[in-house]
Amino acid sequence: MCLSYKYVKKFVEFEGGKGMSSKVTRRQFLNYSLMGVGSFMAAGMILPMGRFALDPLFKDAAAGSDIQTSIKVSEITEEPTKVDFTYNQKDAWYESEVTEFAWVYKEGDKLIALSPVCKHLGCTVTWAGDDGNPDKFFCPCHNGLYTKDGNNVPGTPPRGPLDQYEVGEKDGFVTIGKKFENELVK
Amino acid sequence: MLYTRNDLNVIKDEIEFIDTAIIPVVDIDMDSISVSRAEQIEFIQLIIMMLEKQLKGRLLITPLFTVVGEDVTPVKIYKNQLKEYGFKHSIVLSFKDRTIEDTPLIRMNHVPISDMDKDILEAMVKEEMTKVLKEIIRIWNS
Repeated sequence: MCLSYKYVKKFVEFEGGKGMSSKVTRRQFLNYSLMGVGSFMAAGMILPMGRFALDPLFKDAAAGSDIQTSIKVSEITEEPTKVDFTYNQKDAWYESEVTEFAWVYKEGDKLIALSPVCKHLGCTVTWAGDDGNPDKFFCPCHNGLYTKDGNNVPGTPPRGPLDQYEVGEKDGFVTIGKKFENELVK
Repeated sequence: MLYTRNDLNVIKDEIEFIDTAIIPVVDIDMDSISVSRAEQIEFIQLIIMMLEKQLKGRLLITPLFTVVGEDVTPVKIYKNQLKEYGFKHSIVLSFKDRTIEDTPLIRMNHVPISDMDKDILEAMVKEEMTKVLKEIIRIWNS
C-alpha cells in the first residue's frame, strides 16, 4: 500500500496510457484480493458466532409460546376436564412427540389448569377417582388426595400442592403454557 | 419408576412406597413366528410407557425380561432378588400363561399393531393398559 513515489512514477510511466486498470500495481492487486478473500473468511467465521450468541433471544419466543389444544373454552365447566396437549421433546439425539394433559376448570370466568402429576412420587392423579371423595383429586398409588385448587390434603402422602399451568384462550380454544408452582394455595 | 440411574436412586429411599415390581417377560425365539413376537414386544413397550405415566410412584418396571424357550428359571431368580430388595409385590406381565410360583401373572391380549392408524393404536393401547392397571390395583387390594 505504501508504495514510494519513485516506484509509482516508474510504473505509471512504464504502463502509462493503457486505461484505469493499468494503474493498479501487482502489489496492490494482491493486497486487494487478499483483503477481499480475507474479509470473506473473517465474515464466514464471525457471522455464525454472532448468530450463536444471539440464538437464545430468538429461541425464547418460540419455546415460550402456548400450545393450542383441541378443547373449546366453552366446553370447560367448573368440573375439572382432561385437556390433552402435544409437544416435541428432544432427549439427546432422539426427538419424540409427547402428549400430556392438564386438569382444566373454570373458577367464575377464570380458567385454571392443574398438572396431573402427583407431588409425592409422580403418579397421575384423577378427578373424583375415589368414590369416597367425589370432589377431590385422587392419586391411586398411595391414596393421596388434593382439593380442587390443588392443595394436598393433610394426612395423605403428597408433600405439596399440584403444579399449575399457564392457561389461555386462542380462537375459542384452550391453550396451555408453562408450568409453575401452585399460586392458588397460599 | 424404571431401571435407570435416577429412578433407582429414588427407589433406594422410597422402597416403602414403591413396593411393586413389574417384570415384563417376552419371548425372543427366532423361528417362523418371530415377526409376531417382535410385534408383541413393540406393543408391550407402549403399554409400559403408559403404565409408567399412570403409576410411576408405586411401580418399578424392570427392563424387558427376554426368554428363549420354555425355561423361566431366570425369572424366578430375579423375582427372589426383587423380594429380597424389599418389593412386596412382583407381577409378571406376559402374552402367554407361564407358571412362576408365587408370582401373579397378568396376561395381555396380543394386538396386531401392523399398519394401524396412530389414533386407533393409541386407543387400543389405552384399553389394554386400563385392563392391566385394574388388575394391578386388584392385586394391591387383595
